Amino acid sequence: MSDSSVAATMMRPGFPPPRARPNPLRAGIDSNRIHDPCNVIFFGASGDLMKRMLMPALYNLRLEDTLPNDYGIVGFSRSSFTDEQFRAEMKKSIDEFSRSGPAKDPIWSEFEKRISYVSGDFDDVNRFHALREHIENNDKVLGTQSNRLFYLSTPPSLFSPIIDMIEQSGLGQRSNKGGWTRIIIEKPFGTDLDSARALQAEVEKAFDERQVYRIDHYLGKEPVQDIMALRFANVIFEPIWNRRYVDSIQITAAETVGVEQRGGYYDNAGALRDMIQNHVLNLMTLVAMEPPALSDFEAIRDEKFKVLTALRPIDRNRVFMDTARGQYDAGSIAGKPVPGYRDEPDVAPDSNTETYAAVKLYIDNWRWADVPFYLRSGKRLARKGSEIAVRFKSIPHRLFGELGDTIDNNVLIMKIQPEEGISLRFSAKVPGPKMHIRSVTMDFNYGTGFGVVSPPAYERLIGDAMRGDATLFTRWDAVQAAWGAVMPILERWSDVPDETFPNYAAGGQGPASSERLLAADGREWRKI
Amino acid sequence: MTAPIASTDFDLLREQLGKTSVSATTMNFIVWIDDINFRAWVLERTTKILEKHPARAILLDACPDTPAGAKLVRSEPGGTDDANITVHGERVEIGVKGMSADEIRELTGSLTMNGLPTLLWWTGEGITGQPAFDALVELADSLVVDSSGTRNDGATVIELTHFLARRRNIRLRDLAWMRLRPWQDMIARFFDDPTLREELYSVRSLRIVSGSEAEALYLSGWLASALGWTATAHLEFSDAAGTHIPFSSERAGRIRRIWAIEVSTESTRYSATVSEQDENVVFVKATGKNETPGRFVPLQAVDSPSLLERAILEPRADDLFESALRMVGTLTA
Repeated sequence: MSDSSVAATMMRPGFPPPRARPNPLRAGIDSNRIHDPCNVIFFGASGDLMKRMLMPALYNLRLEDTLPNDYGIVGFSRSSFTDEQFRAEMKKSIDEFSRSGPAKDPIWSEFEKRISYVSGDFDDVNRFHALREHIENNDKVLGTQSNRLFYLSTPPSLFSPIIDMIEQSGLGQRSNKGGWTRIIIEKPFGTDLDSARALQAEVEKAFDERQVYRIDHYLGKEPVQDIMALRFANVIFEPIWNRRYVDSIQITAAETVGVEQRGGYYDNAGALRDMIQNHVLNLMTLVAMEPPALSDFEAIRDEKFKVLTALRPIDRNRVFMDTARGQYDAGSIAGKPVPGYRDEPDVAPDSNTETYAAVKLYIDNWRWADVPFYLRSGKRLARKGSEIAVRFKSIPHRLFGELGDTIDNNVLIMKIQPEEGISLRFSAKVPGPKMHIRSVTMDFNYGTGFGVVSPPAYERLIGDAMRGDATLFTRWDAVQAAWGAVMPILERWSDVPDETFPNYAAGGQGPASSERLLAADGREWRKI
Repeated sequence: MTAPIASTDFDLLREQLGKTSVSATTMNFIVWIDDINFRAWVLERTTKILEKHPARAILLDACPDTPAGAKLVRSEPGGTDDANITVHGERVEIGVKGMSADEIRELTGSLTMNGLPTLLWWTGEGITGQPAFDALVELADSLVVDSSGTRNDGATVIELTHFLARRRNIRLRDLAWMRLRPWQDMIARFFDDPTLREELYSVRSLRIVSGSEAEALYLSGWLASALGWTATAHLEFSDAAGTHIPFSSERAGRIRRIWAIEVSTESTRYSATVSEQDENVVFVKATGKNETPGRFVPLQAVDSPSLLERAILEPRADDLFESALRMVGTLTA
């Protein structure tokens, strides 16, 4: 029977209409749209992150027609705003920070109707009851169908009280029988292993693990996702991606900025907590993980977790041999003088907080046994740049090269920011009668190659959370393992203050101790 | 050209120094131009494509006022300043007026890079009886045309149906069809709700308002092929149950753009109309039994560079397009 005769039969009077046929107009017409209606509720809605990143991200998701048909955006914070005042504030933030330019009608006038605001203290259960009523009203008026995505964009000290209030006020999943409930938690997730476990215990009172989206915006960056594409969408790298061919791997997250307005937070955190424990270790897991069997998010997160569990525990007695720390002194960045860390606002004048951290780690498995992973991150360094450099082993036998020529190791560099791309350094013959060899670099830049500016990570991540795709979010077991990996360092560094602080000039390469860390292995850092 | 850098502007200096040449080349990009009125437009869009996809571009200029000869243009670092993109590409411009089709094919073939896919963007009026077209198609893996906005775009669509029938080894893309994607999504969206699915089988009329004919033909062809309609007469359909479905196609608005669509079922009228405030936004609503509040939907990526980019990035044959094209062939027969 042909398709048309089947259709004709089904159209006969009395023929029961088929149930839930797929939409024939969807065949071949894909869409990136999020299907589930939902409310997105931002705690800390009057804060800087909301203005600079989160609201512009949501507006751009709307401009790209990615948001579902029915959605609500609810701000919750201590500041007192009416809905109209809050909308006006959000419009200002979009005008200033959105990558698509100022908010424009008719989209804005429709979008703003879906924005509302509830003010209250984060420990006032009555205000959370008011928030619940507000959300339930949105469900009726905006058609958001009891689906709720909470976003904690407050200081970390407020995470636990807010989660407690969510549970007490009946906003958590267990009280929400009509739809789904998810929560995005900004980093840092705890300040050490114990506090992370305590926070997790609070989270577990209100949410199941599959509802929790721990955000690390680094993972939303296109080049970070390109690491997986490079490794698993090409056949040429995988055979050499192991201890037989790789000499060492350097992962760098360097910044030129100081602590800016975050002195109060940063002085209690430091580079190891702020960058290494999350961003940099996450990068390491992507570089080192085994190919997942599926592109399913749990399969990927399983493989990343396995890397963390294979990390060789750092012996407390070797902490000072396998790590380096630093604190910036006054210096100059881009030709302009900048103050030392201890002279920054909200930083203790005798602070012993590190603004630079370098760590040597090993992954004890078949692929990476005895390959050192050197991780470093610091502020006020010579250049801003995040990259992963895979240094391959030396050639086994020198066949070419005139006297004095050096044959450098091949290096594959994955550049994450500000440049986004891949470079491969290899040896080539210098034209001429003699067999001179020198290293050349083959560059591929994502920006120029595909001519697009990557959308901000928050757009991708908020959209993913609304879809229920947790690939780019960190699972609790991985957070716990990452804290476990750095705890011996944190403890030893805390026990033994570094009397040499400040020990590197702003605008430089970092402390000399960091250079020594690699020199002891006969290696050196790539220049920042 | 790159602006001189003040000696004290170290940030800018570093930024400029950090920019490196692109050594990636993604394709051969052959562009045919024979209408002086479109020349600047085609050049601008070709440049935009090269900014995004480093390529060996070969512009074959058959405009009457273009002298014979060739020049090589290497794009300067720069690209779009606000996006901080450095672009290096190369473009060969050749005046081909007076050259035979064989000469054009031989010259063009000798300039393409081996081992790369070759895309032919044919901007000429029609494709039938054009020796240069027949010659260049031999070199291409993919052919991109825009049947919309030509002097007789309906006829061009018909020519494409014939081309499709005789050439199966080339990927055919029509920008007029590709431009419809957001409209197709909007129409599909009306019926994503499973409870409205049966509405699709009680469509009673179809009205399309567009600035050119190709879009209306394609959109109706797509709906017909997706819903199992048959073309019963010139611009007339009937559904699988034999119900007559009148199709009205009106000309209004800018060329190459849909202006409004109405799909009426037994109980409800589903409509989408370009906003008067912003031509890149569409107002959609349903009135009648299944009424829904109106909402604005942005039109995504309907500019020619975006469509060309999609043509480049979607390497497989487009079955949906080919089905719609065949339906258009029967509808206009």
